[in-house]
Amino acid sequence: MARALEPQEGGRLVTATMPLKIVRPSRSAARGSGEGRWRLLLAAVVLAILLVWEAAVSWLQLVPAVFLPPPTAVAASFVELVVRPDFWSAFGYSLGNLAIGVVLAVVIGVVVGLAVGWFPVLRFTVAPFLWLLYSTPKVALAPLIILILGLGAASQIALVLLLAVFPIMLNTMEGALTVNKSLVNAGRVFGANGIALGVKVLLPGTLPFSLVGIQRGAALGFTGQVLGEFLGGAGGLGHLLERAAFDFQMDDAIAMVIVMVIIANLTLTVIGLLRKRFAPWHDDRATVKAG
Amino acid sequence: MSSLFAAPSGLRAQRGVAGFIAGLSPRGRALLIVTEVVLLLLLWQFLVGTLGLVNAVFFPPPLDVAQGFVELVQQGTLAQNAAVSVQSWLTGFAIAVAIGVPLGLLMGSSVPVDRVFGPIAWTLYAAPAVAYQPLTKAWFGFGTGPVIFLIVISAIFPIMLNLAAGIRTTSPSLIRAARVYGGSRMDVYRKILLPAAVPFLFAGLRQGAVLATIGMVVAELTGSSVGMGAVIIRSANTYNTDQSFAAIMLIVIWSVSMTQLVGLVERWLAPWNRRKGAAS
Repeated sequence: MARALEPQEGGRLVTATMPLKIVRPSRSAARGSGEGRWRLLLAAVVLAILLVWEAAVSWLQLVPAVFLPPPTAVAASFVELVVRPDFWSAFGYSLGNLAIGVVLAVVIGVVVGLAVGWFPVLRFTVAPFLWLLYSTPKVALAPLIILILGLGAASQIALVLLLAVFPIMLNTMEGALTVNKSLVNAGRVFGANGIALGVKVLLPGTLPFSLVGIQRGAALGFTGQVLGEFLGGAGGLGHLLERAAFDFQMDDAIAMVIVMVIIANLTLTVIGLLRKRFAPWHDDRATVKAG
Repeated sequence: MSSLFAAPSGLRAQRGVAGFIAGLSPRGRALLIVTEVVLLLLLWQFLVGTLGLVNAVFFPPPLDVAQGFVELVQQGTLAQNAAVSVQSWLTGFAIAVAIGVPLGLLMGSSVPVDRVFGPIAWTLYAAPAVAYQPLTKAWFGFGTGPVIFLIVISAIFPIMLNLAAGIRTTSPSLIRAARVYGGSRMDVYRKILLPAAVPFLFAGLRQGAVLATIGMVVAELTGSSVGMGAVIIRSANTYNTDQSFAAIMLIVIWSVSMTQLVGLVERWLAPWNRRKGAAS
Protein backbone atom coordinates (compact mmCIF):
# COMPACT_ATOMS: atom_id res chain seq x y z
CA MET A 1 0.00 0.00 0.00
CA ALA A 2 0.91 3.66 -0.29
CA ARG A 3 3.28 2.82 -3.11
CA ALA A 4 3.47 6.21 -4.72
CA LEU A 5 5.95 8.79 -5.77
CA GLU A 6 6.97 11.56 -3.46
CA PRO A 7 8.42 14.95 -4.23
CA GLN A 8 12.14 14.66 -4.47
CA GLU A 9 14.99 16.72 -5.69
CA GLY A 10 15.85 16.48 -9.37
CA GLY A 11 13.35 13.91 -10.52
CA ARG A 12 14.44 11.21 -8.11
CA LEU A 13 11.32 9.34 -7.31
CA VAL A 14 10.71 7.51 -4.11
CA THR A 15 7.90 5.36 -2.81
CA ALA A 16 6.39 5.88 0.59
CA THR A 17 8.00 2.71 1.74
CA MET A 18 10.93 2.14 -0.52
CA PRO A 19 13.32 4.17 -2.64
CA LEU A 20 12.80 3.62 -6.30
CA LYS A 21 15.06 5.40 -8.68
CA ILE A 22 13.29 6.04 -11.92
CA VAL A 23 15.81 5.39 -14.64
CA ARG A 24 15.27 7.63 -17.59
CA PRO A 25 15.46 5.79 -20.89
CA SER A 26 18.56 6.38 -22.99
CA ARG A 27 16.90 8.76 -25.43
CA SER A 28 16.71 11.35 -22.65
CA ALA A 29 19.91 10.36 -20.88
CA ALA A 30 22.05 13.23 -19.74
CA ARG A 31 24.62 14.01 -22.39
CA GLY A 32 26.79 17.05 -21.82
CA SER A 33 25.50 19.54 -24.38
CA GLY A 34 22.00 17.98 -24.54
CA GLU A 35 21.47 18.65 -20.85
CA GLY A 36 22.55 22.29 -21.28
CA ARG A 37 20.16 22.74 -24.19
CA TRP A 38 17.19 21.55 -22.11
CA ARG A 39 18.19 23.92 -19.30
CA LEU A 40 18.25 26.76 -21.78
CA LEU A 41 14.83 25.78 -23.11
CA LEU A 42 13.47 25.58 -19.56
CA ALA A 43 14.80 29.05 -18.79
CA ALA A 44 13.28 30.36 -22.03
CA VAL A 45 9.87 28.88 -21.22
CA VAL A 46 9.90 30.28 -17.67
CA LEU A 47 10.88 33.67 -19.08
CA ALA A 48 8.10 33.47 -21.66
CA ILE A 49 5.53 32.65 -18.96
CA LEU A 50 6.70 35.64 -16.92
CA LEU A 51 6.52 37.87 -20.03
CA VAL A 52 2.97 36.77 -20.84
CA TRP A 53 2.00 37.35 -17.22
CA GLU A 54 3.59 40.82 -17.24
CA ALA A 55 1.94 41.66 -20.58
CA ALA A 56 -1.50 40.43 -19.51
CA VAL A 57 -1.44 42.45 -16.30
CA SER A 58 0.50 45.67 -16.86
CA TRP A 59 0.23 46.29 -20.63
CA LEU A 60 -3.05 44.75 -21.73
CA GLN A 61 -4.66 45.01 -18.27
CA LEU A 62 -6.66 41.84 -18.72
CA VAL A 63 -6.44 41.18 -14.99
CA PRO A 64 -6.50 43.96 -12.37
CA ALA A 65 -3.04 44.38 -10.86
CA VAL A 66 -4.39 44.43 -7.29
CA PHE A 67 -5.68 40.95 -7.93
CA LEU A 68 -2.67 39.48 -9.67
CA PRO A 69 0.33 41.80 -9.51
CA PRO A 70 2.79 41.52 -12.42
CA PRO A 71 6.12 39.69 -11.95
CA THR A 72 8.03 42.97 -11.73
CA ALA A 73 5.92 44.07 -8.75
CA VAL A 74 6.36 40.66 -7.11
CA ALA A 75 10.11 40.84 -7.65
CA ALA A 76 10.20 44.31 -6.12
CA SER A 77 8.25 43.05 -3.08
CA PHE A 78 10.59 40.08 -2.82
CA VAL A 79 13.64 42.34 -2.66
CA GLU A 80 11.88 44.58 -0.14
CA LEU A 81 10.95 41.53 1.90
CA VAL A 82 14.42 40.08 2.26
CA VAL A 83 15.80 43.29 3.74
CA ARG A 84 13.04 43.63 6.32
CA PRO A 85 14.19 42.63 9.83
CA ASP A 86 10.75 41.30 10.80
CA PHE A 87 10.91 38.90 7.86
CA TRP A 88 14.13 37.40 9.19
CA SER A 89 12.78 37.08 12.72
CA ALA A 90 9.71 35.33 11.29
CA PHE A 91 12.01 33.15 9.20
CA GLY A 92 14.05 32.16 12.25
CA TYR A 93 10.93 31.48 14.30
CA SER A 94 9.31 29.22 11.69
CA LEU A 95 12.44 27.30 10.77
CA GLY A 96 13.44 26.98 14.44
CA ASN A 97 10.13 25.33 15.29
CA LEU A 98 10.37 23.18 12.20
CA ALA A 99 13.89 22.04 13.12
CA ILE A 100 12.92 21.15 16.70
CA GLY A 101 9.87 19.23 15.52
CA VAL A 102 11.75 17.34 12.81
CA VAL A 103 14.63 16.42 15.16
CA LEU A 104 12.14 15.05 17.71
CA ALA A 105 10.39 13.16 14.90
CA VAL A 106 13.71 11.68 13.70
CA VAL A 107 14.64 10.47 17.19
CA ILE A 108 11.23 8.95 17.91
CA GLY A 109 10.70 7.67 14.38
CA VAL A 110 14.07 5.95 14.04
CA VAL A 111 13.97 4.32 17.48
CA VAL A 112 10.39 3.10 17.17
CA GLY A 113 10.87 2.14 13.52
CA LEU A 114 13.95 0.04 14.28
CA ALA A 115 12.24 -1.65 17.22
CA VAL A 116 9.06 -2.45 15.30
CA GLY A 117 11.03 -3.61 12.26
CA TRP A 118 13.31 -5.81 14.31
CA PHE A 119 10.99 -7.51 16.82
CA PRO A 120 8.43 -9.75 15.11
CA VAL A 121 5.98 -9.42 18.02
CA LEU A 122 5.84 -5.65 17.58
CA ARG A 123 5.66 -6.01 13.82
CA PHE A 124 2.53 -8.12 14.06
CA THR A 125 0.81 -6.11 16.75
CA VAL A 126 1.94 -2.49 16.36
CA ALA A 127 2.85 -2.10 12.68
CA PRO A 128 -0.77 -2.30 11.39
CA PHE A 129 -1.67 0.63 13.64
CA LEU A 130 1.29 2.63 12.42
CA TRP A 131 0.22 2.04 8.82
CA LEU A 132 -3.29 3.11 9.69
CA LEU A 133 -2.08 6.28 11.42
CA TYR A 134 0.30 6.95 8.53
CA SER A 135 -2.55 6.97 6.04
CA THR A 136 -4.97 9.12 8.03
CA PRO A 137 -5.16 12.88 7.46
CA LYS A 138 -3.60 13.97 10.75
CA VAL A 139 -3.93 17.65 9.85
CA ALA A 140 -7.52 17.31 11.10
CA LEU A 141 -6.12 17.11 14.64
CA ALA A 142 -4.60 20.59 14.39
CA PRO A 143 -7.45 22.45 16.17
CA LEU A 144 -7.36 19.96 19.05
CA ILE A 145 -3.60 20.28 19.43
CA ILE A 146 -3.98 24.05 19.58
CA LEU A 147 -6.75 23.61 22.14
CA ILE A 148 -4.49 21.45 24.34
CA LEU A 149 -1.16 23.27 23.93
CA GLY A 150 -2.44 26.77 23.30
CA LEU A 151 -1.48 29.23 20.58
CA GLY A 152 2.22 29.44 20.02
CA ALA A 153 5.42 27.53 19.44
CA ALA A 154 4.50 24.44 21.48
CA SER A 155 1.46 23.55 19.40
CA GLN A 156 3.35 24.22 16.15
CA ILE A 157 6.23 21.96 17.19
CA ALA A 158 3.73 19.27 18.18
CA LEU A 159 2.03 19.55 14.81
CA VAL A 160 5.37 19.28 12.97
CA LEU A 161 6.25 16.22 15.06
CA LEU A 162 2.87 14.58 14.46
CA LEU A 163 3.04 15.02 10.68
CA ALA A 164 6.74 14.21 10.29
CA VAL A 165 7.10 11.18 12.53
CA PHE A 166 5.11 8.56 10.60
CA PRO A 167 6.93 8.58 7.26
CA ILE A 168 10.23 8.36 9.18
CA MET A 169 8.96 5.55 11.38
CA LEU A 170 7.52 3.47 8.54
CA ASN A 171 10.45 3.90 6.18
CA THR A 172 12.84 2.94 8.98
CA MET A 173 10.68 -0.08 9.76
CA GLU A 174 10.67 -1.19 6.12
CA GLY A 175 14.42 -0.60 6.01
CA ALA A 176 15.04 -2.73 9.09
CA LEU A 177 13.24 -5.58 7.35
CA THR A 178 15.65 -5.49 4.43
CA VAL A 179 18.86 -5.65 6.48
CA ASN A 180 20.86 -8.57 5.22
CA LYS A 181 20.71 -11.54 7.59
CA SER A 182 24.30 -12.50 7.02
CA LEU A 183 25.39 -9.02 8.12
CA VAL A 184 23.45 -9.55 11.35
CA ASN A 185 25.00 -12.96 11.83
CA ALA A 186 28.45 -11.53 11.15
CA GLY A 187 27.78 -8.87 13.77
CA ARG A 188 26.79 -11.56 16.23
CA VAL A 189 29.94 -13.56 15.50
CA PHE A 190 31.97 -10.48 16.36
CA GLY A 191 30.17 -10.26 19.67
CA ALA A 192 27.72 -7.44 18.95
CA ASN A 193 24.43 -7.95 20.72
CA GLY A 194 21.42 -5.98 21.84
CA ILE A 195 21.89 -2.23 21.54
CA ALA A 196 25.35 -2.59 19.97
CA LEU A 197 23.93 -4.76 17.20
CA GLY A 198 21.22 -2.18 16.62
CA VAL A 199 23.65 0.74 16.43
CA LYS A 200 26.45 -0.96 14.48
CA VAL A 201 24.57 -3.15 12.02
CA LEU A 202 20.88 -2.33 11.94
CA LEU A 203 21.13 1.48 11.94
CA PRO A 204 23.66 1.84 9.09
CA GLY A 205 21.78 -0.73 7.02
CA THR A 206 18.55 1.17 7.55
CA LEU A 207 19.95 4.68 7.17
CA PRO A 208 19.13 5.15 3.46
CA PHE A 209 15.52 4.24 4.15
CA SER A 210 15.35 6.51 7.19
CA LEU A 211 16.73 9.40 5.15
CA VAL A 212 13.99 8.90 2.56
CA GLY A 213 11.49 9.06 5.40
CA ILE A 214 13.19 12.12 6.89
CA GLN A 215 13.01 13.87 3.52
CA ARG A 216 9.30 13.21 3.28
CA GLY A 217 8.79 13.97 6.97
CA ALA A 218 10.51 17.35 6.72
CA ALA A 219 8.23 18.31 3.82
CA LEU A 220 5.14 17.30 5.79
CA GLY A 221 6.50 19.03 8.88
CA PHE A 222 6.70 22.27 6.94
CA THR A 223 3.00 21.87 6.14
CA GLY A 224 2.38 21.40 9.87
CA GLN A 225 4.31 24.53 10.80
CA VAL A 226 2.54 26.72 8.23
CA LEU A 227 -0.87 25.31 9.14
CA GLY A 228 -0.17 25.89 12.83
CA GLU A 229 0.63 29.52 12.08
CA PHE A 230 -2.49 29.97 9.94
CA LEU A 231 -4.69 28.65 12.72
CA GLY A 232 -3.24 30.90 15.33
CA GLY A 233 -0.10 32.30 16.77
CA ALA A 234 1.94 35.26 15.71
CA GLY A 235 5.51 35.58 14.58
CA GLY A 236 6.08 33.13 11.75
CA LEU A 237 6.31 33.11 7.98
CA GLY A 238 2.81 31.65 7.66
CA HIS A 239 1.48 34.44 9.80
CA LEU A 240 3.23 37.07 7.65
CA LEU A 241 1.80 35.47 4.52
CA GLU A 242 -1.71 35.34 5.91
CA ARG A 243 -1.56 38.97 7.00
CA ALA A 244 -0.33 40.10 3.59
CA ALA A 245 -3.15 38.21 1.85
CA PHE A 246 -5.68 39.51 4.37
CA ASP A 247 -4.60 43.10 3.69
CA PHE A 248 -4.80 42.27 -0.01
CA GLN A 249 -1.10 43.04 -0.51
CA MET A 250 -0.97 40.40 -3.21
CA ASP A 251 2.57 41.26 -4.35
CA ASP A 252 3.83 40.67 -0.80
CA ALA A 253 1.74 37.52 -0.49
CA ILE A 254 3.06 36.00 -3.73
CA ALA A 255 6.62 36.90 -2.74
CA MET A 256 6.04 35.08 0.58
CA VAL A 257 4.74 32.01 -1.26
CA ILE A 258 7.87 32.05 -3.43
CA VAL A 259 9.98 32.19 -0.27
CA MET A 260 8.16 29.10 1.01
CA VAL A 261 8.61 27.24 -2.28
CA ILE A 262 12.33 28.01 -2.08
CA ILE A 263 12.57 26.86 1.55
CA ALA A 264 10.74 23.60 0.79
CA ASN A 265 12.91 22.82 -2.23
CA LEU A 266 16.12 23.72 -0.39
CA THR A 267 15.18 21.45 2.51
CA LEU A 268 14.56 18.53 0.14
CA THR A 269 17.82 19.18 -1.69
CA VAL A 270 19.86 19.37 1.52
CA ILE A 271 18.46 16.10 2.83
CA GLY A 272 18.97 14.57 -0.62
CA LEU A 273 22.65 15.58 -0.42
CA LEU A 274 22.83 14.06 3.07
CA ARG A 275 21.49 10.85 1.59
CA LYS A 276 24.28 10.84 -0.97
CA ARG A 277 26.87 11.77 1.64
CA PHE A 278 25.91 9.30 4.37
CA ALA A 279 24.58 6.43 2.33
CA PRO A 280 26.67 6.41 -0.84
CA TRP A 281 26.92 2.61 -0.71
CA HIS A 282 23.20 2.33 -1.03
CA ASP A 283 22.07 0.95 -4.37
CA ASP A 284 18.49 1.92 -5.08
CA ARG A 285 18.02 -0.80 -7.67
CA ALA A 286 18.92 -3.50 -5.18
CA THR A 287 16.16 -2.42 -2.82
CA VAL A 288 13.60 -2.40 -5.57
CA LYS A 289 14.44 -6.01 -6.29
CA ALA A 290 14.24 -6.80 -2.59
CA GLY A 291 10.71 -5.44 -2.50
CA MET B 1 -5.61 -3.01 3.83
CA SER B 2 -5.30 -6.67 2.92
CA SER B 3 -1.56 -6.21 2.62
CA LEU B 4 -1.47 -5.59 6.37
CA PHE B 5 -2.39 -9.15 7.00
CA ALA B 6 -0.32 -10.74 4.28
CA ALA B 7 2.23 -13.29 5.31
CA PRO B 8 5.42 -11.49 6.24
CA SER B 9 8.67 -12.33 4.57
CA GLY B 10 10.53 -14.28 7.24
CA LEU B 11 13.32 -12.21 8.72
CA ARG B 12 14.46 -14.94 11.05
CA ALA B 13 13.05 -18.05 12.71
CA GLN B 14 9.97 -17.14 14.73
CA ARG B 15 9.70 -18.25 18.31
CA GLY B 16 7.32 -17.66 21.20
CA VAL B 17 4.47 -15.20 20.73
CA ALA B 18 5.78 -14.08 17.35
CA GLY B 19 5.94 -17.67 16.18
CA PHE B 20 2.36 -18.19 17.30
CA ILE B 21 1.18 -15.08 15.45
CA ALA B 22 3.20 -15.95 12.36
CA GLY B 23 1.48 -19.32 12.30
CA LEU B 24 -1.99 -17.75 12.24
CA SER B 25 -4.02 -17.60 9.06
CA PRO B 26 -4.62 -14.15 7.53
CA ARG B 27 -8.10 -14.22 9.03
CA GLY B 28 -6.71 -15.12 12.43
CA ARG B 29 -4.28 -12.25 12.22
CA ALA B 30 -7.06 -9.83 11.22
CA LEU B 31 -9.04 -11.04 14.22
CA LEU B 32 -6.03 -10.33 16.43
CA ILE B 33 -5.88 -6.74 15.18
CA VAL B 34 -9.61 -6.27 15.77
CA THR B 35 -9.22 -7.61 19.31
CA GLU B 36 -6.38 -5.17 19.87
CA VAL B 37 -8.50 -2.25 18.69
CA VAL B 38 -11.39 -3.24 20.97
CA LEU B 39 -9.03 -3.61 23.94
CA LEU B 40 -7.48 -0.20 23.27
CA LEU B 41 -10.90 1.46 23.06
CA LEU B 42 -11.97 -0.22 26.32
CA LEU B 43 -8.76 0.92 28.01
CA TRP B 44 -9.26 4.48 26.73
CA GLN B 45 -12.87 4.49 27.97
CA PHE B 46 -11.75 3.17 31.36
CA LEU B 47 -8.79 5.50 31.88
CA VAL B 48 -10.44 8.71 30.68
CA GLY B 49 -14.14 8.04 31.14
CA THR B 50 -14.16 6.14 34.42
CA LEU B 51 -10.93 7.06 36.20
CA GLY B 52 -10.67 10.54 34.72
CA LEU B 53 -6.86 10.36 34.40
CA VAL B 54 -6.85 12.84 31.51
CA ASN B 55 -9.16 15.77 31.01
CA ALA B 56 -12.02 14.33 28.97
CA VAL B 57 -12.23 17.56 26.98
CA PHE B 58 -8.81 16.84 25.47
CA PHE B 59 -9.21 13.12 24.82
CA PRO B 60 -12.93 12.35 24.92
CA PRO B 61 -13.49 8.62 25.56
CA PRO B 62 -15.09 6.49 22.82
CA LEU B 63 -18.60 6.62 24.29
CA ASP B 64 -18.47 10.44 24.38
CA VAL B 65 -17.31 10.47 20.76
CA ALA B 66 -20.26 8.26 19.85
CA GLN B 67 -22.47 10.70 21.72
CA GLY B 68 -20.88 13.58 19.78
CA PHE B 69 -21.64 11.78 16.54
CA VAL B 70 -25.30 11.42 17.54
CA GLU B 71 -25.41 15.13 18.41
CA LEU B 72 -23.97 16.05 15.02
CA VAL B 73 -26.58 13.93 13.28
CA GLN B 74 -29.45 15.27 15.35
CA GLN B 75 -28.49 18.90 14.88
CA GLY B 76 -28.39 18.31 11.17
CA THR B 77 -24.91 19.83 10.96
CA LEU B 78 -23.44 16.54 9.79
CA ALA B 79 -25.65 15.98 6.74
CA GLN B 80 -25.23 19.60 5.63
CA ASN B 81 -21.45 19.87 6.07
CA ALA B 82 -20.58 16.36 4.94
CA ALA B 83 -22.49 16.98 1.72
CA VAL B 84 -20.47 20.16 1.08
CA SER B 85 -17.17 18.39 1.77
CA VAL B 86 -17.97 15.37 -0.37
CA GLN B 87 -19.04 17.62 -3.21
CA SER B 88 -15.86 19.71 -3.02
CA TRP B 89 -13.71 16.60 -2.82
CA LEU B 90 -15.32 14.92 -5.81
CA THR B 91 -15.23 18.11 -7.89
CA GLY B 92 -11.61 18.81 -7.01
CA PHE B 93 -10.46 15.25 -7.59
CA ALA B 94 -12.29 15.06 -10.93
CA ILE B 95 -10.62 18.29 -12.07
CA ALA B 96 -7.21 17.00 -10.91
CA VAL B 97 -7.71 13.77 -12.90
CA ALA B 98 -9.04 15.63 -15.95
CA ILE B 99 -5.98 17.90 -16.06
CA GLY B 100 -3.37 15.59 -14.57
CA VAL B 101 -3.89 12.57 -16.82
CA PRO B 102 -3.49 14.36 -20.18
CA LEU B 103 -0.51 16.34 -18.88
CA GLY B 104 1.04 13.16 -17.51
CA LEU B 105 0.57 11.38 -20.84
CA LEU B 106 2.13 14.32 -22.64
CA MET B 107 5.07 14.50 -20.23
CA GLY B 108 5.64 10.78 -20.47
CA SER B 109 5.66 10.63 -24.25
CA SER B 110 7.42 13.87 -25.20
CA VAL B 111 10.96 14.49 -24.04
CA PRO B 112 10.87 18.30 -24.52
CA VAL B 113 7.65 18.58 -22.49
CA ASP B 114 9.15 16.38 -19.80
CA ARG B 115 12.40 18.34 -19.69
CA VAL B 116 10.69 21.75 -19.53
CA PHE B 117 7.50 21.04 -17.64
CA GLY B 118 8.93 18.38 -15.32
CA PRO B 119 11.22 20.63 -13.25
CA ILE B 120 8.45 23.22 -12.86
CA ALA B 121 5.99 20.56 -11.69
CA TRP B 122 8.48 19.01 -9.26
CA THR B 123 9.28 22.42 -7.78
CA LEU B 124 5.63 23.22 -7.18
CA TYR B 125 4.94 19.71 -5.86
CA ALA B 126 7.72 19.98 -3.28
CA ALA B 127 6.19 23.08 -1.67
CA PRO B 128 3.41 22.48 0.83
CA ALA B 129 0.00 23.09 -0.75
CA VAL B 130 -1.04 24.98 2.40
CA ALA B 131 1.22 27.81 1.31
CA TYR B 132 -1.09 28.56 -1.63
CA GLN B 133 -4.14 28.77 0.62
CA PRO B 134 -4.05 32.51 1.57
CA LEU B 135 -3.70 33.48 -2.10
CA THR B 136 -6.73 31.44 -3.10
CA LYS B 137 -8.68 32.87 -0.20
CA ALA B 138 -7.95 36.35 -1.50
CA TRP B 139 -8.81 35.36 -5.08
CA PHE B 140 -11.87 33.17 -4.64
CA GLY B 141 -13.30 34.59 -1.44
CA PHE B 142 -14.64 32.73 1.56
CA GLY B 143 -16.36 29.55 0.43
CA THR B 144 -15.84 26.33 -1.46
CA GLY B 145 -13.74 27.94 -4.22
CA PRO B 146 -10.45 27.87 -2.26
CA VAL B 147 -11.29 24.39 -0.97
CA ILE B 148 -11.67 22.98 -4.47
CA PHE B 149 -8.54 24.81 -5.64
CA LEU B 150 -6.47 23.34 -2.82
CA ILE B 151 -7.82 19.84 -3.51
CA VAL B 152 -6.86 20.18 -7.19
CA ILE B 153 -3.38 21.51 -6.43
CA SER B 154 -2.80 18.75 -3.84
CA ALA B 155 -3.95 15.86 -6.02
CA ILE B 156 -2.78 16.84 -9.48
CA PHE B 157 1.00 16.45 -9.12
CA PRO B 158 1.17 12.85 -7.88
CA ILE B 159 -1.27 11.77 -10.62
CA MET B 160 0.62 13.59 -13.36
CA LEU B 161 4.18 12.73 -12.28
CA ASN B 162 3.44 9.06 -11.57
CA LEU B 163 1.79 8.59 -14.95
CA ALA B 164 4.68 10.29 -16.73
CA ALA B 165 7.20 8.15 -14.85
CA GLY B 166 5.22 5.03 -15.73
CA ILE B 167 5.38 5.74 -19.44
CA ARG B 168 9.02 6.79 -19.35
CA THR B 169 10.17 3.67 -17.50
CA THR B 170 8.47 1.14 -19.73
CA SER B 171 11.02 -1.52 -20.54
CA PRO B 172 12.72 -0.54 -23.85
CA SER B 173 12.92 -4.19 -24.88
CA LEU B 174 9.11 -4.42 -24.82
CA ILE B 175 8.93 -1.40 -27.12
CA ARG B 176 11.61 -2.86 -29.42
CA ALA B 177 9.77 -6.18 -29.50
CA ALA B 178 6.57 -4.42 -30.56
CA ARG B 179 8.47 -2.57 -33.29
CA VAL B 180 10.05 -5.79 -34.52
CA TYR B 181 6.58 -7.28 -34.88
CA GLY B 182 5.61 -4.34 -37.03
CA GLY B 183 3.74 -2.26 -34.47
CA SER B 184 3.12 1.34 -35.52
CA ARG B 185 3.73 4.29 -33.19
CA MET B 186 0.06 4.20 -32.25
CA ASP B 187 0.17 0.44 -31.59
CA VAL B 188 3.19 0.83 -29.32
CA TYR B 189 1.44 3.61 -27.47
CA ARG B 190 -1.85 1.78 -27.04
CA LYS B 191 -0.68 -1.77 -26.48
CA ILE B 192 2.64 -1.31 -24.67
CA LEU B 193 3.04 2.11 -23.07
CA LEU B 194 -0.47 2.66 -21.71
CA PRO B 195 -0.89 -0.79 -20.09
CA ALA B 196 2.60 -0.51 -18.61
CA ALA B 197 1.76 2.87 -17.10
CA VAL B 198 -1.49 1.77 -15.48
CA PRO B 199 0.03 0.60 -12.16
CA PHE B 200 1.85 3.94 -11.88
CA LEU B 201 -1.33 5.84 -12.69
CA PHE B 202 -3.21 4.06 -9.92
CA ALA B 203 -0.35 4.58 -7.47
CA GLY B 204 -0.64 8.27 -8.31
CA LEU B 205 -4.42 8.23 -7.92
CA ARG B 206 -4.11 6.59 -4.50
CA GLN B 207 -1.54 9.14 -3.37
CA GLY B 208 -3.66 11.89 -4.91
CA ALA B 209 -6.76 10.73 -3.02
CA VAL B 210 -4.89 10.92 0.29
CA LEU B 211 -3.41 14.33 -0.50
CA ALA B 212 -6.78 15.61 -1.74
CA THR B 213 -8.32 14.81 1.64
CA ILE B 214 -5.46 16.59 3.41
CA GLY B 215 -5.89 19.60 1.12
CA MET B 216 -9.62 19.64 1.76
CA VAL B 217 -9.21 19.52 5.53
CA VAL B 218 -6.53 22.22 5.50
CA ALA B 219 -8.63 24.53 3.33
CA GLU B 220 -11.77 24.01 5.39
CA LEU B 221 -9.90 24.48 8.66
CA THR B 222 -8.35 27.76 7.62
CA GLY B 223 -10.93 29.46 5.47
CA SER B 224 -14.42 28.07 5.21
CA SER B 225 -17.58 28.27 7.26
CA VAL B 226 -18.97 25.02 5.87
CA GLY B 227 -17.55 21.52 5.49
CA MET B 228 -16.17 18.96 7.91
CA GLY B 229 -13.05 21.02 8.64
CA ALA B 230 -15.24 23.92 9.70
CA VAL B 231 -17.21 21.55 11.94
CA ILE B 232 -13.96 20.48 13.64
CA ILE B 233 -12.83 24.08 14.21
CA ARG B 234 -16.22 25.21 15.49
CA SER B 235 -16.72 22.31 17.87
CA ALA B 236 -13.12 22.52 19.16
CA ASN B 237 -13.47 26.25 19.78
CA THR B 238 -16.61 25.64 21.84
CA TYR B 239 -14.95 22.77 23.77
CA ASN B 240 -17.29 20.18 22.21
CA THR B 241 -14.28 18.00 21.43
CA ASP B 242 -16.44 14.88 21.36
CA GLN B 243 -17.99 16.30 18.21
CA SER B 244 -14.55 17.20 16.79
CA PHE B 245 -13.36 13.64 17.29
CA ALA B 246 -16.51 12.29 15.64
CA ALA B 247 -15.90 14.57 12.64
CA ILE B 248 -12.22 13.54 12.49
CA MET B 249 -13.22 9.87 12.54
CA LEU B 250 -15.54 10.46 9.61
CA ILE B 251 -12.77 12.18 7.63
CA VAL B 252 -10.45 9.26 8.37
CA ILE B 253 -13.13 6.81 7.20
CA TRP B 254 -13.63 8.88 4.04
CA SER B 255 -9.89 8.98 3.30
CA VAL B 256 -9.45 5.23 3.81
CA SER B 257 -12.54 4.37 1.75
CA MET B 258 -11.43 6.54 -1.15
CA THR B 259 -8.00 4.87 -1.33
CA GLN B 260 -9.70 1.47 -1.10
CA LEU B 261 -12.08 2.51 -3.86
CA VAL B 262 -9.15 3.43 -6.11
CA GLY B 263 -7.72 -0.04 -5.41
CA LEU B 264 -11.05 -1.66 -6.33
CA VAL B 265 -11.28 0.27 -9.58
CA GLU B 266 -7.71 -0.76 -10.36
CA ARG B 267 -8.51 -4.45 -9.85
CA TRP B 268 -11.59 -4.08 -12.02
CA LEU B 269 -10.00 -2.06 -14.84
CA ALA B 270 -6.52 -3.55 -14.78
CA PRO B 271 -6.74 -7.12 -13.52
CA TRP B 272 -3.33 -7.88 -15.07
CA ASN B 273 -1.71 -5.71 -12.46
CA ARG B 274 -1.85 -8.07 -9.47
CA ARG B 275 0.50 -7.19 -6.65
CA LYS B 276 3.05 -9.89 -6.20
CA GLY B 277 3.76 -10.46 -2.53
CA ALA B 278 3.25 -7.04 -1.00
CA ALA B 279 6.26 -5.89 0.97
CA SER B 280 4.36 -5.18 4.15
